[in-house]
Amino acid sequence: MMMNRLICACVCGLASLFVAVKVASRHVRAADAPVTYAHQIAPILYKDCTTCHHPGGAGPFSLMAYADARRWGPQVLRVTQSRYMPPWLPEPGYGDFADNRRLSDSDLDLIRQWVSTGMAQGDLADAPAPPHYNATWELGTPDLVLKTARPYTLAASGTDVFRNFVLPYPLKQTHYIRAVEIRPGMPQIVHHANLLIDRTASFRRAHPNDWQDGVAGMELQVDAGSMFDPDSHFLFWKPDTPVLMEPEGMPWRLDPGNDLILNMHFKPSGKPETMQAEVGLYFTDRPPEKQPMLLQLEDDEALDIPAGARDFVVQDEMKLPVDVDVLGVYPHAHYLGKDLQGYAILPTGEKKWLIWIRNWDIDRQSVYRYRKPVFLPKKTVLHMRYTYDNSSTNIHNPNDPPVRVRAGNRSVDEMGHLWLQVLPVNQRLGGLDPRILLEQEWMQNKLRKNPKDTIALFNLAGAYMGEGDYQKAAATYQRELAVDSGDTRTLTALGVAYEKAGDSQQAVEAYQKAISLDSGSMDAQFDLGRLELNHDNVARAEEQFRAILRQTPDDASAHSGLGLALLKEQEPEAAQAEFDKALKLNPQDATGLDGSAQLAIASGNPAHAVDLLEDAVKQDGKDAEMREHLAMAYVQTNRFGDAATQLRAATTITPDDPMAHALLSQVLTTTGQLQDAILEQQKALQLNSNDADGWNNLGVLDAREGKTAEAREAFEHALRLEPNHAQARANLARLQASAGKF
Amino acid sequence: MGETMRQLCTIAMLLLGWVVAGQAQRYGVNLNGAPVTELVLPGKRVLVLFFAASDCPISNRYLPEMERLQHEFANRGAQFREVYPNPGDTTSVVRQHSTETGDATDIVIDREQSLVEMAHVTVTPEAAVFVRDGSGLHEVYRGRIDDRYLDLGSERPRAFHHDLENAIGAALGNKPVPQPGGPSVGCAIVTRQP
Repeated sequence: MMMNRLICACVCGLASLFVAVKVASRHVRAADAPVTYAHQIAPILYKDCTTCHHPGGAGPFSLMAYADARRWGPQVLRVTQSRYMPPWLPEPGYGDFADNRRLSDSDLDLIRQWVSTGMAQGDLADAPAPPHYNATWELGTPDLVLKTARPYTLAASGTDVFRNFVLPYPLKQTHYIRAVEIRPGMPQIVHHANLLIDRTASFRRAHPNDWQDGVAGMELQVDAGSMFDPDSHFLFWKPDTPVLMEPEGMPWRLDPGNDLILNMHFKPSGKPETMQAEVGLYFTDRPPEKQPMLLQLEDDEALDIPAGARDFVVQDEMKLPVDVDVLGVYPHAHYLGKDLQGYAILPTGEKKWLIWIRNWDIDRQSVYRYRKPVFLPKKTVLHMRYTYDNSSTNIHNPNDPPVRVRAGNRSVDEMGHLWLQVLPVNQRLGGLDPRILLEQEWMQNKLRKNPKDTIALFNLAGAYMGEGDYQKAAATYQRELAVDSGDTRTLTALGVAYEKAGDSQQAVEAYQKAISLDSGSMDAQFDLGRLELNHDNVARAEEQFRAILRQTPDDASAHSGLGLALLKEQEPEAAQAEFDKALKLNPQDATGLDGSAQLAIASGNPAHAVDLLEDAVKQDGKDAEMREHLAMAYVQTNRFGDAATQLRAATTITPDDPMAHALLSQVLTTTGQLQDAILEQQKALQLNSNDADGWNNLGVLDAREGKTAEAREAFEHALRLEPNHAQARANLARLQASAGKF
Repeated sequence: MGETMRQLCTIAMLLLGWVVAGQAQRYGVNLNGAPVTELVLPGKRVLVLFFAASDCPISNRYLPEMERLQHEFANRGAQFREVYPNPGDTTSVVRQHSTETGDATDIVIDREQSLVEMAHVTVTPEAAVFVRDGSGLHEVYRGRIDDRYLDLGSERPRAFHHDLENAIGAALGNKPVPQPGGPSVGCAIVTRQP
């Protein structure tokens, strides 16, 4: 420990020395020596300006050479002194951000002196080597390049343009993304871009005729689907950051059927510009080890700004239910935003600033990532306080004379959002994803502002589902249906909640109501088919899956569901044909892989079953049931160690599942690890004490370990549960006959 | 109030009153390199000079607006000239730029910056309006095109006051010419080295 601290101190010392020398070399000059381009100005430009201002870069002109700097010297002076450039809105001292682009006062002074004394060149041999900028992909050839469907031509003039381009993810496998590079095609006309993940392709479906040309709009909402899936990242492009690298262990995910949506802000250049954006994706095989989520503070309901109001305040606050590290922040408003504050009040009462922008400018908006994560303990209250200026003195006001402005997606509407990317830390929640608690708090906060917010109700119910509180989830879905009784997706989700709560009858009614309201409600039909299958109503299940396939023949899940129904109907060949169709449409279809594996085992080919199930587990390592099936396939191929590994993983994922513990106990028995086997069997019986077979098995294990009294008690327990349990009776008799030797 | 405004406008006109000999003078060259000796064609009463730079982003953003104004006023007696005064804007550079932008305005390469001197402009984009007066030209307006840009980095979503448009309309209507409501914002004109 001491050694580490010593090394750390030395390294810090070296770093300080290096910085001191570097700074000195730039600034040391005779008192009367002029500031020159070579000595003082080129280093500033190369550090803070040329990332955009290079040939082909996003800046409107280059600042790479002395002639450039001289040509633009007066403008450089003006825009740096006013701090318009480099673009950096956060107030210093109110959040410690990575890639801080704010120029130091000493740099500003050097620029001022250089321009006022005639912009001397100096000896170019003393200038640093100019940086090199790639004209191609920064990280090399991406694993996948997505391109907008058609080129887009921006008109020569007019107001700024906000447009959304859909990039369907074409692959049939899930991939994790460690980095993305956004190439807007014509960076000079793009102010910024946001890349959103549309898990359900909802935006494309909502714009079937124009998504290929881009859809106008400053903001957009996408349907996140019915699953609680809060993994979310800031994927934000601005001119100086073409590549977004995720921190180690935090890749993001793309599934088959997902879309990416590029939300772009253009500024007309004076001539028509045609561009076609590209997104380069870099994959990693390693699934995320850390899963952040985005939280949003807002009060759009309160955004109703009278014409002429100069200091209209909108606030929101939210108490954290868990400890978090804040990784980044994205303040967002439209043209009337003036003063944007984000801060936290810790449980101690201490105020910790997250960001303060005193002079908001939508043209220079950005995501800001903290140099080090900002730790906020549980019970911290997050605050947003935005001030708007809807008077004619606000030069950004799009209306003359000012008019009443409310929340909305158009640029003449207003918005007030503070997004935070947080990573839950220090969690001991017994396997519960802490993001569920964050989601619940967030949605409850929204509902306090608008009790009839159907999206918040739906998301809150989804979070209860994630927590396993199905009764509460069903009640919340019902609450949403009281606002909008015709929402078939909510009815379907309600059916799932009832089903999970053990109320099959109510579940069937909910699914049937959804189907009656919309015969194209595939999810309801699928869930009804699955429920029928689980209750061995095989013919009715088959009917549902076939009904889906009549409407959407390429639905992989319906094919594999039908396969399972046929398997239960003892039609293995027809079942295999359906599994094959499912896997052809989606090679990762879990049911298709699992069903094919069952057939492979039945036909005496467990090795093939292992291949199929290993693939399934690789795609979704959190599916405990799939791991159990893989373990059973390993057992069939005498790979008991691998089977135990899978079952241990399954018990970690679902520690309350008695079956996983019981299976693990049996595998450990086979490998001779009797004490561990006893422990696992005991865990299984703690979770399900009515399992006569389990008590019998525990008795056998106790007897083999010489624990005669415990064995007798276990057999007798089994017989109390099932007096006719033949094996327990035989084992008890054998124990008595052998006088304790089993 | 109206009387006060009229007085102010008159004073501004007097201050800007700049008489230029209209004959036998050279005003730079056109895109073919031929000298421009006649700034205002016969039949035109008002001359509008739009000072531009091919590498200035704000100047370029105003090209469509200048095209609109030309379309509006050309048949009403206004002559439009787009003037490129910077040393780097040679005929070949501006020709290329004009091709890219589809710019159809009469272009003058102000090699000697004589038009800069005549109009007293300092930045691009900036406009000057002259009224023919006998054999000379009186400058009646010099300044911004509109109020979209208030400073570098200080930009309205759209312009609310179209200063130049109002000035040209007034000049053509023989009315007092309103003066710009704010400074010209853009890129400094590069001084020609002797």
